[in-house]
Amino acid sequence: MINRLEATRYLIQQLSDEPVIASCGNPKFDLFTAAGDRKANFYMWNSMGMASSIGLGLAMARPDKKVIVLDGDGAILMNLNSLTTAASKSPSNLAHIIWDNEQYQITGGQPTHTRGKADLESIARGAGFDKVATVDTMAAFKKALSQILSEKGPWILVAKTDSAGAPGRPPKSPVYIRNQFMEASSEKGERP
Amino acid sequence: MQHMRERELDWPEKIVSVLKANNICSISFVPDAVIGKILKIAEKDPYFNVTTLAREEEGIGIITGEYLGGRYGVLMMQSAGIGNCVNALASLAIPYQIPFLILISQRGELGEFNACHMIMGKAIRRILDALGIQHHTLDREDNVETILNGAIKTAYSSDQPVAVILSTALVGWKDEK
Repeated sequence: MINRLEATRYLIQQLSDEPVIASCGNPKFDLFTAAGDRKANFYMWNSMGMASSIGLGLAMARPDKKVIVLDGDGAILMNLNSLTTAASKSPSNLAHIIWDNEQYQITGGQPTHTRGKADLESIARGAGFDKVATVDTMAAFKKALSQILSEKGPWILVAKTDSAGAPGRPPKSPVYIRNQFMEASSEKGERP
Repeated sequence: MQHMRERELDWPEKIVSVLKANNICSISFVPDAVIGKILKIAEKDPYFNVTTLAREEEGIGIITGEYLGGRYGVLMMQSAGIGNCVNALASLAIPYQIPFLILISQRGELGEFNACHMIMGKAIRRILDALGIQHHTLDREDNVETILNGAIKTAYSSDQPVAVILSTALVGWKDEK
């Protein structure tokens, strides 16, 4: 089993200025705890399920950047259709990591359907992704990540994690989060 | 001086030309027959990145991501789709101040044949009002450009989504009874 905060810290160590989108729930707490001073982090405070879609839009707008999405099993289960859209558009710079601890951790650990019969790797393949992996040890995560960051995607990595928490809390102002992120990651076209 | 044209553009052509003139190069949509007329023109133009959504809510996320990266998008859907994207509007686009145009093909008003489109169709303005999203209705060929240009300007000066509703008075309705 992977510790999500440790894996997030390792991921950040491998990055330079790549944008990272962190889903609502625990992925954003881990990301802020691991790298709170990093401007290219986008923290979601709600819109559960939208991380995958934000990542797709950003990957299409910025083909020069590897775009990292940190999602959760509960969140992606709420927007599974987005996988079919992402696979159809297939931006090669998209790396979608799903932390799968088989529970709605933030609301008290109620089981998600990945605790039961749902398998996110099979769902991603069925949606049309062919670069998909599931890892459940830190060693396997590191190996998969090295491939994801160096080779063209789009990638989906399902990482089986524990449900340890992280103490950090990102800024609560959505506009502050947006402005910080855009300062680091936006290449502005002429505004309408 | 007004540019001379061989003929007046029809409404789908006007919409596509206004989008392009405003640097809106990305179209995310769930189709209906009305949106299809716009897409038929836009898809021929390599200027546009056209994304078929499986569900309207995805479009809020995609356009947010594009905006964060510096690209501007429009979301097109039928009125039923507003029901599918209320939380993403309320908890992503509005608080994070993401501007874009939402084009909505109206069902449930003039010329409707399907009772199951009437409730959402009639509710969309009240839903948009409840979210604080400004909306305008296009019902005449001769003000398409004025309303669209104005809605786009307002969206980007206020950093908020603005909706334009395509009335069946402009785009027509099916003969089916």
